[in-house]
Amino acid sequence: MIRYIARRLLQAAVIVAIVAAITFVLIHIAPGDPFSAVLDNPNVSERVRETLRSQYGLDRPLPEQFVRYVGALARGELGWSFSHDRPVREVLGSALPNTLLLMGVALIASFALGILVALVQVARRGSIIDHVLSGISLLFFSMPDFWLAILALLALTYWLPIFPVGGAVDPVMHEYLGLGGRIADRLRHLALPALTLTLLASASVARYQRAALLDVLPADFIRTARLKGLTEREILRRHALRNALLPIITLIGLSFPALLTGAFFVERIFAWPGMGYAVINAISTRDYPLVVGGVIIGSIMVTLGSLLADLLYVWADPRLRSH
Amino acid sequence: MAAMRYSGILCAALLCGCVGRESSVGSTGGTLAIASGGDPDALVPSLLQTTTAAEIVDMLYDRLADIGDSLNVVGDHGFTPRLADRWMWAKDSMSIAFHINPNAKWHDGQRVGSNDVRFTIASTKDSTLGSPTASVIENIDSVSTPDSATAVFWFHARSPQQFYDAVYQNPIIPEHVWKGIGPAGWRGSEAAKHPIGSGQYRFVRWIPRAVVELTADTANYRGRPNINRLIWSIAPDFNTAVTRFLSGETDFFEQLRLENLPEVAKHPELKTKPYRALSYQFLQFNLRDPANHDRPHPILGNRELRRALTMATDRIALIRSVFDSLALPALGPTVRAYPTTDPNLAQIPFELARARQLLDSLGWRVSTSDSMRTHNGRPLRFSISVPSSSKVRVQMAVVLQEQLRRAGVKVDVEQLEFPALIAKGKSRAFDALIGQLNTQPSPSSVRGSWGTHASRSASGNNFGSYESPVFDAYVDSALASFDMAKRKDYFTRAYETIIQDAPAIWLAEPRPTVGYHSRLELTTLRSDAWWAHIPQWSIPRDKWIARDSLPAVAPGAQPAAPKTP
Repeated sequence: MIRYIARRLLQAAVIVAIVAAITFVLIHIAPGDPFSAVLDNPNVSERVRETLRSQYGLDRPLPEQFVRYVGALARGELGWSFSHDRPVREVLGSALPNTLLLMGVALIASFALGILVALVQVARRGSIIDHVLSGISLLFFSMPDFWLAILALLALTYWLPIFPVGGAVDPVMHEYLGLGGRIADRLRHLALPALTLTLLASASVARYQRAALLDVLPADFIRTARLKGLTEREILRRHALRNALLPIITLIGLSFPALLTGAFFVERIFAWPGMGYAVINAISTRDYPLVVGGVIIGSIMVTLGSLLADLLYVWADPRLRSH
Repeated sequence: MAAMRYSGILCAALLCGCVGRESSVGSTGGTLAIASGGDPDALVPSLLQTTTAAEIVDMLYDRLADIGDSLNVVGDHGFTPRLADRWMWAKDSMSIAFHINPNAKWHDGQRVGSNDVRFTIASTKDSTLGSPTASVIENIDSVSTPDSATAVFWFHARSPQQFYDAVYQNPIIPEHVWKGIGPAGWRGSEAAKHPIGSGQYRFVRWIPRAVVELTADTANYRGRPNINRLIWSIAPDFNTAVTRFLSGETDFFEQLRLENLPEVAKHPELKTKPYRALSYQFLQFNLRDPANHDRPHPILGNRELRRALTMATDRIALIRSVFDSLALPALGPTVRAYPTTDPNLAQIPFELARARQLLDSLGWRVSTSDSMRTHNGRPLRFSISVPSSSKVRVQMAVVLQEQLRRAGVKVDVEQLEFPALIAKGKSRAFDALIGQLNTQPSPSSVRGSWGTHASRSASGNNFGSYESPVFDAYVDSALASFDMAKRKDYFTRAYETIIQDAPAIWLAEPRPTVGYHSRLELTTLRSDAWWAHIPQWSIPRDKWIARDSLPAVAPGAQPAAPKTP
């Protein structure tokens, strides 16, 4: 097992390195300049332009910039963010916990909700409830994440003002609240972006889980359980669900990239100060080190998520352990 | 010349007697939460570029004197004392001596001195800092400090704008905070993250991508501001920012769009107020061939053809369609707020029939197959590049596409990311683009955008390569003139020249409209900086809401520390 994990980690490192190199080249050859806002100012002289480029090493040839970046990376440095005037490590360090919180809550909630919906559908398969839930799942499954986020923002903060409009905390009141108030404030701000991601991710979980359950139900051991006189609910919960969870573990691995991508747009719309919010702004301002740093962290999260899913799969399926 | 000198002295003499603590109008206290579209880029006056940063910096730092609401930039007329309680012009006008208000203190308790003024100018001019302001203050040679309360500005040449150059661009920063930090390290320094100024508000906290908070400096030499706390609530997504305003999470939104106005009208507690800004939008033609810059553009290099395109453009209809009442037709490369702008500048009128005739006479004939014009087999077709992030400019491009189609011109609209658009402009690899210029109180920036030098410099901002010695000469004469009437006359001739040459179609002069909570009592929204008078805004106590009664500083959050970094 240890050799397997070591091999997978090595593969992950290679993948991350390739992704980082491709991102580095692509963002540098994209038209535009990190100092577009500055350089667009008619008052900015050529000398100032040269100074800024030189200060940030952008006057060097691209291969040299790349070698310097790799050297810095080897020392554990992700570079200096042009737009934040802080080390990239610091910018992402403050953003990552917010993204992990949002993704973690959305991941747990979406799987819980998706499995629950699938169980209800299978328990009442062929009924109106089954068809309605299928339709709703399909609707959320096919809905663009940014569109749902905007709709949720309008519906639940403005038309029906239940939740606050974006941010991780209330910028005006948070500092004046007690501990309980601060926790409640954070949860209130987390609710809407997490709900948006949950609805999007749970739709696919529900559809996969429903299909997996329907595959399991004709199996012999289910027929045996019925013959033993177990109720349909007990059969579903104790026997069918356990066996139908294996494909869902695969889905966890697949959900990481999808959730991370979704979080990028959701974070921007809800002004959630996470990694996606930081990286999308960095792309539009051509903050090269922050973009590459964000992609490195993102790809590490995705590859580790995939590895975790594989390990869970091995743990859950005794047949695979012998291999 | 002499008249101006004497008026300066007279003004200084008059000011000596009237400078004191500014009286606070209205009740004090309350919280102003401003919905902001972006993070400040730097809270250092000489390094900032974004509007959000300018709003915050202007609350934190003071200039020696502040420009008046009339935005006069000639001499010192209209300027009001700030850190300098009086000033004196030298007889030859080659220097101005500013006397520092003895009551002025930094937020860490130290006194503001003339050394701070000298340091501010020297550091801004230091090329290793990379300040965008450096080129604007090139006429300032140096600052000497005969005593701790007197800073003397020395100029290379006498100029109508030398007072403006000395004060407007340079909020004063504390030498004792910055002198130990190398210029290249300013942006990332702790001092930049926890700024110490002398303005009527002091810094409390800045959480990147979330919030900036300032609190009233109650012991300020200019008197305490009316509102206790200022909070910039940052959301880069426009819809999020405007929803925060509509839902009452914030009190002020700086630029409502047309589609937001009906929503605002549904809320009796919200109000709107338009103001004149210093920006204009235009369709800029590339006069050089994108494939070979030594040749004129095969279509747009022709002056008469550009005039025909201008005649085919119904700017009134365009503005009604895109802005409704939130813009006026642009007059030229200028804005109405300048005292030197003649609002009756002669324009190329909208005359579709004449435009068609002119195009016919130039050999561009309508082909029967698709109603589009061709000349020697070349279709009359070009692309308009617009930033995809600007909904307004995309809409304008679409309206222009339709209007020019009626004249037989085929237009392709190309949406680009803002950095990509700028890159395209700089490399002159475009046919036409819709641009916006946000100018300053001085009309001198017209040289950097439309002058010959800006066209020939590789990094110049005259992307369309318009070059006219006549235009340049009129602008130079205007900027060198001390007489307001002559200055206006020269500028009028310069603008008329460029309008008739049609290197651009002058589209719109937006009238930004702010939205605000009705409990706020606003004062004038100044054209160059709507926020300039925030310290005089107030919230009457009988209209307070929950956030207004919070203490000035949150428990745990401290305003600018009394110790220096």
